[in-house]
Amino acid sequence: MCFPRSSDEVAAAVGVARRHGRAFVARGSGTGLAGGATPLDDPVVIVTTQMNRVLEIDPQARVAWVEPGVLNLDLSRAVGHLGLHYAPDPSSQQACTIGGNVGTNAGGPHCLADGVTSAHVLAVDVVLADGTATRLGGLEPDSPGYDLRGCFVGSEGTMGIATRIAVRLTPDPPCVATLLCAFDSVEAAATTVSGIIAAGVLPAALEMMDAPITRAVEDFVGAGYPRDAQAVLLAEVDGLEGGVAEQVDAIAEVARANGATLVRVAADDAERALLWKGRKSAFGAIARIAPDYYLHDAVVPRTKLVEVLRRVYEIADAHEVIVMNVFHAGDGNLHPLLVFDQREPGVWDRVHAAGTEILEACLDAGGVLTGEHGVGIEKRDLMPRMFSPDDLDAQARLRDAFDPDGVANPQKVLPRGSRCGELQRVPEGTWI
Amino acid sequence: MTGPLQLDAETLNACVSCGLCLPHCPTYRVTGREIASPRGRIAAMRAVETNEAPIDDAFRAAMEECVSCRGCEPACPSGVQFGKLMETTRAALPSPRSRVRRGAEWFGYRVVLPRHWLLITCTWLAWLAQRLHLVPARVGLPRLSARSLARGLELPTGGTPDAWLFTGCVMDAWLRDTHRSAARVMGATGARLAQPTNGGACCGALHLHAGREAEARALAERVMQSMPGVAPVVVDSAGCGATMKEYGKLLGSADAHAFSERVRDFSEWLAHQAAPRLRPTGIQVVIQDPCHLRHVQKAHGAVREVLAPAYELLETADDGLCCGAGGAYVVTQPELSRRILDRKVEALRAAGGGADPIVVSANPGCMVQLRGAGIDARHPADLIAEALDE
Amino acid sequence: MTAPGPVVAPVGARTHWEIGGPPTEGAVEVRAPVGVITYEPADMTITVGAGTSFDTLDGVLAEHGQECALDPRSRAATVGGILACGLSGLRRLRHGPVRDHVLEVRFETGDGRLVKGGGQTVKNVTGYDLPRLFVGSLGTIGVLQQATLRCRPRFPRSRWFAGSATDSFRASARLWDGAREAVLFEGVDADVESQGRGLAPLDTPPALPDGPHRGRISVAPGRVGECTAALAGRVRWCAELGVGTVHVAADEADALVHARSVSHAYGGWMLREAGGPSDDDGFGCALPSAALMRRVKDAFDPGWKLNPARLPFARIG
Repeated sequence: MCFPRSSDEVAAAVGVARRHGRAFVARGSGTGLAGGATPLDDPVVIVTTQMNRVLEIDPQARVAWVEPGVLNLDLSRAVGHLGLHYAPDPSSQQACTIGGNVGTNAGGPHCLADGVTSAHVLAVDVVLADGTATRLGGLEPDSPGYDLRGCFVGSEGTMGIATRIAVRLTPDPPCVATLLCAFDSVEAAATTVSGIIAAGVLPAALEMMDAPITRAVEDFVGAGYPRDAQAVLLAEVDGLEGGVAEQVDAIAEVARANGATLVRVAADDAERALLWKGRKSAFGAIARIAPDYYLHDAVVPRTKLVEVLRRVYEIADAHEVIVMNVFHAGDGNLHPLLVFDQREPGVWDRVHAAGTEILEACLDAGGVLTGEHGVGIEKRDLMPRMFSPDDLDAQARLRDAFDPDGVANPQKVLPRGSRCGELQRVPEGTWI
Repeated sequence: MTGPLQLDAETLNACVSCGLCLPHCPTYRVTGREIASPRGRIAAMRAVETNEAPIDDAFRAAMEECVSCRGCEPACPSGVQFGKLMETTRAALPSPRSRVRRGAEWFGYRVVLPRHWLLITCTWLAWLAQRLHLVPARVGLPRLSARSLARGLELPTGGTPDAWLFTGCVMDAWLRDTHRSAARVMGATGARLAQPTNGGACCGALHLHAGREAEARALAERVMQSMPGVAPVVVDSAGCGATMKEYGKLLGSADAHAFSERVRDFSEWLAHQAAPRLRPTGIQVVIQDPCHLRHVQKAHGAVREVLAPAYELLETADDGLCCGAGGAYVVTQPELSRRILDRKVEALRAAGGGADPIVVSANPGCMVQLRGAGIDARHPADLIAEALDE
Repeated sequence: MTAPGPVVAPVGARTHWEIGGPPTEGAVEVRAPVGVITYEPADMTITVGAGTSFDTLDGVLAEHGQECALDPRSRAATVGGILACGLSGLRRLRHGPVRDHVLEVRFETGDGRLVKGGGQTVKNVTGYDLPRLFVGSLGTIGVLQQATLRCRPRFPRSRWFAGSATDSFRASARLWDGAREAVLFEGVDADVESQGRGLAPLDTPPALPDGPHRGRISVAPGRVGECTAALAGRVRWCAELGVGTVHVAADEADALVHARSVSHAYGGWMLREAGGPSDDDGFGCALPSAALMRRVKDAFDPGWKLNPARLPFARIG
């Protein structure tokens, strides 16, 4: 394990790994949920936490150069006095690093309107798998040749290690309104989400929590979430006064038409902050309910939300596990949480079976395996359910172009047998 | 099922390794090392508890690097009681191998702290050494005043006052003038005060943090006996106050719980009295929240409330991260303590607009630590006493 | 280096045909399917055949009050052509570059496999990001069959104003030609009106410079001022402020060469869109990470059958 302080030291660490025939894995704060940074087979772990300086801030161009170990929220704080912020805001934003965000192409509630990490990364200085340093992308609007920056973002450390990152900074909106809507059923809340999007409203964020989560969160922050609601929606709209007012009205109208039992607009910044603190602490707060949980991450088309959510609850019932839902509803990004106590015999098998079935239900509805957590180890072996052998082969070849020797975070993202050559070596029928 | 550390399994299991504690941990912030974070320490505790790892020097070092600021507790959505885990773990650590260290710990914790007269004598020696320029400035020993040491606190001892002013050990020896300020301000509200009877000096906080739980219990009993009755126990040292508010948990007795209920931080007590008249000074003051006031007592709001009428308050942008003093931490982990302090000083200067600001801190340990870095650190009681409109 | 067998050149509407220079002589021209494949307005996503024109796409979306801000120079341009060229529209300042509008691509690789990358949902990080890679690849890694695009509600009001709007929140575009600045605001009536207060409304949007020799300079947004100053009247130009794109046009090929050397002097580069010296690679400096780009090209087109002559990629072989 090593703690480099510069790009040169990262390159040196990669060099040492190669000389000793070891793989290498980059690690930030270790908040990832798919195991992308988990070291397998004793690799050299390159920890970026000491590369944590904000190097340059250009408020006119709205660009900042940062080292990969800078914490997401620290960056927003560092530019807050300029009326700017860094838009992608994963729930772990107070702890996760920008380098980790680049690795997973992280999302967050406010990515609904602002886009995920890839849309906010202009350039990345990287140390490639062969130890050479290069810049991908640039501050100029377009870079010549292939968009290698785009390939690198979200590659989960399999294409090299970012050592300096140029990110786009977003101006703070002059006007923000946060609405809390409560419903008697999950379905009514989900219908409201589809209704809001169908009404032509694109909120800055649109989040949903079901009853058990809402209560756990309320126990932690005391933000005034209604404890008796079956589901709550947290909607935020921002921009200029007129547009915000119009969107608040539109959202409230759709919510009421779907039987909302409460529609409340946060009175001030303090209430807004508290509501968001509750939403962003949801996963941790689960420990107040049960000792163990398995958090999933899948995306479905927004028009399929109602139907897929119904399936999720049915599947959990069939496997006798408790499921809770807290998710980025506006994106259709589900986060079903399977809650259990691992001391109960046989529960792991049921949790895994239910989880896999839920993912399949999402895929059947036209969805994808992961919306923001990444593939890592967790979903690697499910990749063939979403991609054909040709698709996977193309991805494997792209990865090999960046890392011909397979030393950068191997065994992640792509399942064994993704390359066509490998396929031929595998006895027929073993994995398809 | 408990292992070698005797940790409560439910408390240990409550951590889901989400990592939201990391940015709130001063040692993680300055080192970037997982093992210097609450999550890493819990992982190490688990490994020991399940007998996957031994209690070795590395484990001891990892546990001793923790400042015990408990900044991770309010940040934890799962409500992990990290302070409890750390205290229990430290209590289970075998005594250190170094005889010099064992001797020094014995002398400090067993001999000096519980005997107030001895602490005062040692302080006189330190005063002498300071006059002879034998104490380097970076040790952070505050400038001791012979005048202050020679003069006792002019308060009745024992009796049935309206409120007790807890005097403590190190604070009384090194910062007795702050007690005088506190007494002046409290008196201005019309309250009749008293100081504890003999034996009520050391609250045992330092012992508890060092894993010397039995000694801490004995000291707690003595402190409780020194301030009988129902009157509030006002404490102007945030670290002591935090420990005394947890006597109930420490001793488990009904008496201890009742005593803990009576404990108030100085500012917390003052905020609930008829406010003494203060004149606006127009002076800017940067607030430094002592960890045990903010994370444990959660009484940092009161400091702002009582100072606001007289001072212009400025906040730091570091989420109330620790200053690195941590009671005995500054002595046991000087290197880490200094790095944490450097970060703190930077945040304080930034809040003060770049210049060296006046900083208010409600804990003697923090004040001494900050003064060692050249920061003009004052106690809320001193600032309020200066602004009293008498 | 090209393997035996026909060389392929994907063709759209030829609205940006000159970019990257002429394709290989005798190449087999292939066209992509035309038409909307799926469109669920309430999902705000649309999947179309790559041969579908922007005009058709925009018309279908408009029926449901939506749009996709690809904004090509010519409405005849096909979706496949727009993505392959990777040229972003004038509203990039607010809506982002072309690459951010693509959710899923399905293309045929040089060795004849149909490959899908990305996914049809608005958010997705499953597998490597082939949609981003495809945008701007000039048909050198695959022949696009279909693409899923992200849409958004059309704004009720959209209006150009003359004047400076440095501090305006979320202006959709800011153009500057050295003499005048024009700004586009989009939103509800009240907001567009309040943002345009003190500025003179424009009846027609400002025109980009035109001429037989055209290109677009890419420089860091902070260097647009010095870069355009150095263009010194040799070319007509119009800069997208806050973005860093400078559209240039000239009557002489030499002037375009001059503009390109200016772009290099200010840390940028220039893409030749039309005209210019015929032996020019449209780009004029060494590709960064050329070896890596070559391996990427090889990964998708091992036999170099796809547009092997298109520049600048032809130079990395």
